[in-house]
Amino acid sequence: MNDPAPLALAALLLPAASFLILSVAVPLRRSGRPGAGVSILFSAGALASAVSSWALSPPGAWSLRLWDWLPAEGGALASVGVLADAQSTAMLVLVAGVSFLVQVYSLGYLADEPPASLGRYYAYQSLFAFSMMGLVLAPNFLQLFICWELVGLCSYLLIGYWYQRPEAARAAVKAFWITKAGDVGLLIGIVLLWRQAGTFDYIRLLQLADSHLLPLGGLGVITFCLYLGAVGKSAQFPLHVWLPDAMEGPTPVSALIHAATMVTAGVYLLTRTAWLFALTPHVLALIGWVGAFTALLAATLACVQSDIKRVLAYSTVSQLGYMMAAIGAGYESAGFLHLLTHGVFKALLFLGAGAIIHAVGTNDIFAMGGLARRMPQTLVVFLVGTLSLAGIPLFAGFFSKEQVLGAVWFGGLTVPFLMLALAAFLTAFYMFRVIFIVFFGAPAHEAAVHGGAGTGHAHDAPLLMAIPLWILAALSMVIGTGFALSHPRAEFEAPGWITPLAVGAALAGILLAWLTYHRRAIDAEALAAAFAPIRAAALRRFWLDDLFEGIYRAILGLARIIGWIDRYLVDGVVNLLSAWTLQFGDRLRGIQSGLPQDYVYAIALGALLLIVWNQWPR
Amino acid sequence: MGLHPYLALAAALFSIGLFGVISRRNTIGILLGIELMLNAVNINLVAFARFTGAVAGMVFTVFTISITVAEVALGLAIVILIFRVRHTVIADHLDLLRG
Amino acid sequence: MSLEPIAFAGLAVVLLASALAVVLTKNLFHSVLYLALTLVGTAGIFLTLDAEFLAAVQVLLYAGGVVTIVVFAIVVTERLVGDRITQTSRHLVSGGVAALALLAVLLVFLRSVPLPATRPAMTGDLTRAIGVAVLTRWVLPFELLGVLFVTGLLGAIYFARPDE
Repeated sequence: MNDPAPLALAALLLPAASFLILSVAVPLRRSGRPGAGVSILFSAGALASAVSSWALSPPGAWSLRLWDWLPAEGGALASVGVLADAQSTAMLVLVAGVSFLVQVYSLGYLADEPPASLGRYYAYQSLFAFSMMGLVLAPNFLQLFICWELVGLCSYLLIGYWYQRPEAARAAVKAFWITKAGDVGLLIGIVLLWRQAGTFDYIRLLQLADSHLLPLGGLGVITFCLYLGAVGKSAQFPLHVWLPDAMEGPTPVSALIHAATMVTAGVYLLTRTAWLFALTPHVLALIGWVGAFTALLAATLACVQSDIKRVLAYSTVSQLGYMMAAIGAGYESAGFLHLLTHGVFKALLFLGAGAIIHAVGTNDIFAMGGLARRMPQTLVVFLVGTLSLAGIPLFAGFFSKEQVLGAVWFGGLTVPFLMLALAAFLTAFYMFRVIFIVFFGAPAHEAAVHGGAGTGHAHDAPLLMAIPLWILAALSMVIGTGFALSHPRAEFEAPGWITPLAVGAALAGILLAWLTYHRRAIDAEALAAAFAPIRAAALRRFWLDDLFEGIYRAILGLARIIGWIDRYLVDGVVNLLSAWTLQFGDRLRGIQSGLPQDYVYAIALGALLLIVWNQWPR
Repeated sequence: MGLHPYLALAAALFSIGLFGVISRRNTIGILLGIELMLNAVNINLVAFARFTGAVAGMVFTVFTISITVAEVALGLAIVILIFRVRHTVIADHLDLLRG
Repeated sequence: MSLEPIAFAGLAVVLLASALAVVLTKNLFHSVLYLALTLVGTAGIFLTLDAEFLAAVQVLLYAGGVVTIVVFAIVVTERLVGDRITQTSRHLVSGGVAALALLAVLLVFLRSVPLPATRPAMTGDLTRAIGVAVLTRWVLPFELLGVLFVTGLLGAIYFARPDE
């Protein structure tokens, strides 16, 4: 059989089964490691299915399985299923692979967690894997949206895994809230698109677009609204503020969700529906500009961070900007390629950072130093990841980054190209800054360590954590060298000077970092002072958080006003009417005196009135 | 002489009776007022019967007088009973129907 | 006959005066006596209307029976002097208003209505006519009246029984 759809379906349903088992079989979940084992086992099965389905999906072919969800006459109103083609199965492999490796890694990283919490963690991991794969394999916008929201929910649950910590709880809510702002746009876009085209189905929409039957009026609004969803999920400016805070979750979660898979959902959406966006070039240009700006902004912010995970978080935002810029230039395949490679090496970097944090007990890079001697293996894998990120030849990121730059140049977005080039320089700089500070030299100060051994007694990661690291590092090298030997043909002819420019920018960044943080030839303080205003703004995160907080408080204030109006005016009117009715009734009650004479009097008056009314001279 | 004077007389008697019913404090006084009202009715009936030649009016008067007698008897019996229970015949004190 | 208006006027004055006395006297016993006078006055009116039988019935039953009963009730309830109607209670004013208004309306109404000005001649004995009517056309109400009396009698006995 060479139909990839059933295999894709198997890859989708195995994590779902794992989640169901762990939710329902409470003793199994509460036992911790056995529950984790179930989840890992199912995840391995999902990976195998994903790889097989990818192998059976050559480019250009697709396989569809649909089930009616809301049956109706004249076709189902809504259906769910899997759409397996080269793109979706490749993404499926990434999701399944990183998910499996992260689950194995977590067993070592979270070894000290109470068993009930661990079971909860793996249940959430399984749910996430299921929903992300559901999103990837979605054949229509409806399933996409449902899985989109589910993925957001899992992000919330996993960021807030240590919910007793107030920072984690706040970060989880912030992530949910900010992405929700984007999701509203997505929902509006989907509904508008349905109104325009009458269907949610990708294939049907593609056919409509190809045969020019899709009405173009208002399509710009639709694509913009869809893009808003991607802005939220993929942390584009200005909705990127949740991603650094999401680092409050466990590091494996950061590796999986906030590096390789969930945040790339926005990029994936745009890649999937690129033919729709191709019909609205203005929105594409906007996407390109915002992406490049995001890349530069995040790179700037990464240069001033002292928390190792925050550096990586801003790096993720920056690379997402790269992917979006490529899409905006019109060459979504370049963006998608970068998505795949980035998934591998960013996960590697996060897991490596996790190994460091687990060993040392703190996230503060200035409390680390000289770890090269004590954690050599970690240095190696971290270096592999960093070189990939910086875009050095023979490593994974080199080819995809060059493709992105070429696409942006070829797509005619010149200023974004310059922003991306500068961002490349900064990327190399801040990553090697981290390496030189963490692995070489001495700690600048002692920091509060929690759980770890401190710098003096750090050691390389245990086996459960080391194996995924080595696998990812090897994968990164394989991809890098593989591309070097036989790279896929691009859709465009990039100018010859792009490659030297990219490599040169990266090397310049590495050189600057080496001079500043290793050789101390350049004083870091002087360097910082040279860019003092930007640095100050970066330390305040360009006041975006304050802006959002202001908006939030304004909305709260408005809600309070409305609540006051509701309680005192709306309810007040009703209460007033009822009070008046009660008072009137009380007064009216006085008529019933109980004395028959009064009643006779009333009868007499009534009779009188009747007579008068009857006999009144006309 | 005409029917008018008789009817006017009956109307005046009726009004006086109504005044008595409404304004007397003693229950028996109220009953006396009711008597006056009934008398006015009887005068009306008889006057009409005489002036239109229908004897039914007079027959009716016989009936009303008889029934009034029975009603007075029983009404007073009730007043006596109330007096026994509540030791009062003042109408203002008998306000159990108060709302 | 010119005697008729004079008789009527005299009887009317007596009637109305005694009726006013009934409702305005403080002493209840006096009130009852004035009521007796009113009832006799009514009997006189019946006489001017050629209804001798009714006049007799009126005197016998009303002036005789009812007054007696009321006197007994007053004696039993021992409230000979009670009402202070000089007290300006709301009842007084409202009662006066209601009564006067009703009177005014009725008189005004009567003025506008055409009514026979002379009485038709008497055809035969009125008493006989009443008797015949009661026992032929109106026999059913007559019999029911008897039932009513029996019922009233039983009721009165029940009410008046001593407490046990």
